[in-house]
Amino acid sequence: MVTSENTKMNGLERAKQLSKNRGLRAKELRSQGRKIIGYLCSYAPLEFFTALDLVPHRIMGSVGEPIIKADAYLEPIACPFVRSCLDKALKDDYDFLDGVVFPHSCDNVQHLSSIWNYYLKPELYYFLNVPHMTEPSSFEFFKSELTAFKKYLEDFAGKELTDQALLEAIKLHNKNRALLRELNALRKQDTPLISGAELLQTMVATMVLPADEETGLIESVIEEVKNRPPKDSDEDRPRIMIYGCEIDSPEFMQMVEDSGASVVMDDLCTGTRGYWEGVDETGDPVEAIANRYLDKLRCPRTYRVSPGTHEADIANRFEYLKEYAEEFDVNGAILYIIRYCDTQEFDAPDVRDYLQSIGLPVLHIEDDYTLAGIEGLRTRVQAFVEMIV
Amino acid sequence: MAEQQKTKTTATKSTKTAGKVRPIVKKMYLRAQEAAAEGRPIAYGMVASQYEEILRAMDITPIWTENYAALTAAKQVAEPYITKAEAEGFSNVLCKYAMVGIGFDAIRAETGKIPEGAPDGGMAQPTMLLGSSAVCDPRFKWYQTLGRYMDTPIHCIDVVYPNSNHFTLEMRDYYVKYQTEQFKELVNFLEKTTGTKMDWERLDHIMDIADETIQVWWDAYQLRKATPCPMPSQDHFSCMVPAYYLLGEQEALDFYRELHDELKERVDNKVGAVENEKYRLLWGGGLPPWHTLSIFNYFESLGAVFTIETSYHPPEPLEPMGKDVHPLKRLSSRVVDRAMKAQARAKEGCGDSRVQQILDLLKEYNNVGMMMHQARSCRAMSLGQIHFKNMVQEHIKVPTMFMESDIVDVRDYSEAQTKMQVDAFVDAVESYAQSLN
Amino acid sequence: MLFAGVDLGSTTAKVVIMEKDVLASILGPTGAEHRRTANKVMTEALDQVGAAIDDIEYVVATGYGRINVPFADKQITEISCHARGVHWSFPSATAVIDIGGQDSKGMRLNKGKVADFVMNDKCAAGTGRFLEVISEALGLKVEDIGPISLKSQNIIKISNVCTVFAEQEVVAKLAEGAKLEDILAGLHDAIASRINAMFSRLKMQGDIVVTGGGALNTGLLKALEEKFAQPVFTPSSPQFAGAIGAALLASDLTGQAAAKGKTLKKGHRRLEEVTFFT
Repeated sequence: MVTSENTKMNGLERAKQLSKNRGLRAKELRSQGRKIIGYLCSYAPLEFFTALDLVPHRIMGSVGEPIIKADAYLEPIACPFVRSCLDKALKDDYDFLDGVVFPHSCDNVQHLSSIWNYYLKPELYYFLNVPHMTEPSSFEFFKSELTAFKKYLEDFAGKELTDQALLEAIKLHNKNRALLRELNALRKQDTPLISGAELLQTMVATMVLPADEETGLIESVIEEVKNRPPKDSDEDRPRIMIYGCEIDSPEFMQMVEDSGASVVMDDLCTGTRGYWEGVDETGDPVEAIANRYLDKLRCPRTYRVSPGTHEADIANRFEYLKEYAEEFDVNGAILYIIRYCDTQEFDAPDVRDYLQSIGLPVLHIEDDYTLAGIEGLRTRVQAFVEMIV
Repeated sequence: MAEQQKTKTTATKSTKTAGKVRPIVKKMYLRAQEAAAEGRPIAYGMVASQYEEILRAMDITPIWTENYAALTAAKQVAEPYITKAEAEGFSNVLCKYAMVGIGFDAIRAETGKIPEGAPDGGMAQPTMLLGSSAVCDPRFKWYQTLGRYMDTPIHCIDVVYPNSNHFTLEMRDYYVKYQTEQFKELVNFLEKTTGTKMDWERLDHIMDIADETIQVWWDAYQLRKATPCPMPSQDHFSCMVPAYYLLGEQEALDFYRELHDELKERVDNKVGAVENEKYRLLWGGGLPPWHTLSIFNYFESLGAVFTIETSYHPPEPLEPMGKDVHPLKRLSSRVVDRAMKAQARAKEGCGDSRVQQILDLLKEYNNVGMMMHQARSCRAMSLGQIHFKNMVQEHIKVPTMFMESDIVDVRDYSEAQTKMQVDAFVDAVESYAQSLN
Repeated sequence: MLFAGVDLGSTTAKVVIMEKDVLASILGPTGAEHRRTANKVMTEALDQVGAAIDDIEYVVATGYGRINVPFADKQITEISCHARGVHWSFPSATAVIDIGGQDSKGMRLNKGKVADFVMNDKCAAGTGRFLEVISEALGLKVEDIGPISLKSQNIIKISNVCTVFAEQEVVAKLAEGAKLEDILAGLHDAIASRINAMFSRLKMQGDIVVTGGGALNTGLLKALEEKFAQPVFTPSSPQFAGAIGAALLASDLTGQAAAKGKTLKKGHRRLEEVTFFT
């Protein structure tokens, strides 16, 4: 059987293909009898799916596509990314999913979940409660919630999920995360070996592949970009870090790079947040998963206990951004905030002030995810580049 | 604004008891100002976080910051606070309760005093901030960001609802356990911050009062099923104040006893909220437009009365727990069991507890129309309304109106447009009511 | 050496040709065909100076249509250009507010360079468009509403900033018998509030200069002065600030390149080609 997997296409070309046609591989695997489980956001425990031989498929939206069908089901004041996901599903773009899992990441996702379930009637539908707090009791609760979810998945898959299988899945996902960190590190050089747009395409592609195929794709991209012919020095191009949540299409990165900057680092759900930290491979695997997703994932939806003063609280919450900036020699940061993403909108002024306090110029953009007003954004980004060079 | 739009928050035939709420609200802010003057602990708090009785038992004076934002909206003075929060870099689309609160504290931090013209003397400087994840995300993000303006001890708690479709009875235990632990952590924080120990017996006693208050409140609202309806929704948006803000205090219990008596008398004498009651309506979703509660008067002028509402609806009383149960476990069981009870009912019916509530209230209160408020800045209570309406329509073709404005921000509201919409809606209600006869 | 700046805005197109000082300045409506407009205004400016396009050392295009200026050598955003233009006429200015036809921008300057900026292009409130719509609804010319509003003794607060709602509100107020000048003063106050809220994010301090078409509206300037609680300044021809800044940046870049012993790469200068075909 000829499938997109055993064609010769590899590396960035394959990443581009998958990022544009995200259901391509999932549909092939489904026709071979695999079950495809869609999930939203960064809080679904991918290791569970992989260990049970289910294929996790990240549900994403469609930048640039007008929202038509979702209007009849979800209010315009909902997060536009969430609305875009629903719109795609209502247009049957996700008809290859056997099930959907919605972790309770935020109000918007919570509302989407019951609507999705009611109108799209997936075979498997699960709403996974994720605590917002990070006290010891929160981890214990999350572990219980994950255990209940695990049992449910076992029934669905018709097999037991052993600790051994889970540990192997953890190791596989950790390996992929390490490879992505290796790929990301290729942006540290004066002239980054991979552009922000290319890296984003690769990220999107990894999120629509089963974990074992993800490995090969990332390795082939690393191989390809490492062997690129040397480019002229990019010393005039400011090195930019992008902070935000869901950017799942390369247009924005492309526009920033067309404006004369290099995107060299990010703090995005579709970027470092997915791979910066792995799951502990020792001890109880479910507990390790609870710790990784609740504690190590840096999303403003999770409340961090304040160590005391405001200054200490800000350092506790955002110091990792300073580390990113130093490690990747960043000259400026762009905050790309999706309108109606409440938790991110609340954090934005603090993030802006913090980055400015460590000497980084900041451009704070609030956009509606669709990039319909990209020309206005281009003016801002170009002016920002003109300002810092 | 202030000089043009007169806010009439009372109905033409408003209950006498509802008239007692405004002084209670004034007293609430005054109490906090007194506590500040005397150096007693004051907490910024989020309504319905289920920790009201805990604060009461530890003599911590709460300031319900969302209520304060609603007050500034009703007094038409919210704008400068919102503008200030925008200037700080907060998005205009964020919860306007939070925007008012942030603006207020930003101005206080900048000027060193309570903003000029703040209604009811303003919010006293808190000595602690108590956020929660109950209902929506802004309720812990808001206080987290207040660190910009004050280095005040902060503690946030999770309030978890068993809202998974796969929730089983076995899972109840760890939900109750987590909720109990969260309350315990809160009590630890409060003991540490105030230097006083929790008196568990006192908490138990306060919870007894609270339970009784809820029961009387619940019973009183059953009386609104009468025709003509003795009490309209605009009264409710005042009368819910003691239950939410003074829960556990004798004053709150007395208030609902009085309300109950008054409603009973009205029902016995067939006194309605509107003269010649023509249409009975349900307030089916969304927080009220505090800036323009006068819109209810327009409905009344057309003979329409809102008989009951899903927002701030009294929780259905639960069977009392045994006396040997620890008060924190009692509190957390209340959170989980209320939700489970609603879900159990939904399972027998339409499947969704929120929609089931709408269907039940439509039927029990004999309503022929439903309005929902799409408040632009309130995602938690506005999202899902279209879906609920769709689901309701599968069971009953009741006319529905979506009012578009905001909880606070009058800049998102057009009175002319809303009135036109109301006219069309009432026409639809009229023909629907006729079709039923 | 001659330098040119072309500012192709959403409503009007502006060209200046400079040597040390401004030699020619032309303004015309932008219309639908950007390239044609750009060529037309440039041709007029060249005629005024008596020069050909190739006599210009370097051409910088700016504004919303900057990409559609076929004879430009470089595109620079209006944010940098307005800042440069203002710094030239007001060296002490530390803050610029540019109120354009469809957007508005605020810049904080540090030694003439942009240190931070904000831009509003999502919502008509706070832009020239808002005033145009309202003037139209009232049957007035947009240039008249400023002076009329100055007569107001009793400002009427307009609570809506959404253009559609505000239009309804204004009509309703008129029907209630409110005076025109009071309503207009209220409108200017509403826009100034909006601009103030947005721009106070920049924590601007020092002298504020207002540029763009909005700077021609005396009523709006008065309202801004009240909101910012300080006087605001305007250049003698505020609409040209962006084009002047573009020409100055053309000169700056040429000078910087020369200092490094380099020459700048020029564009194709397709002035006549396009005019010929269109």
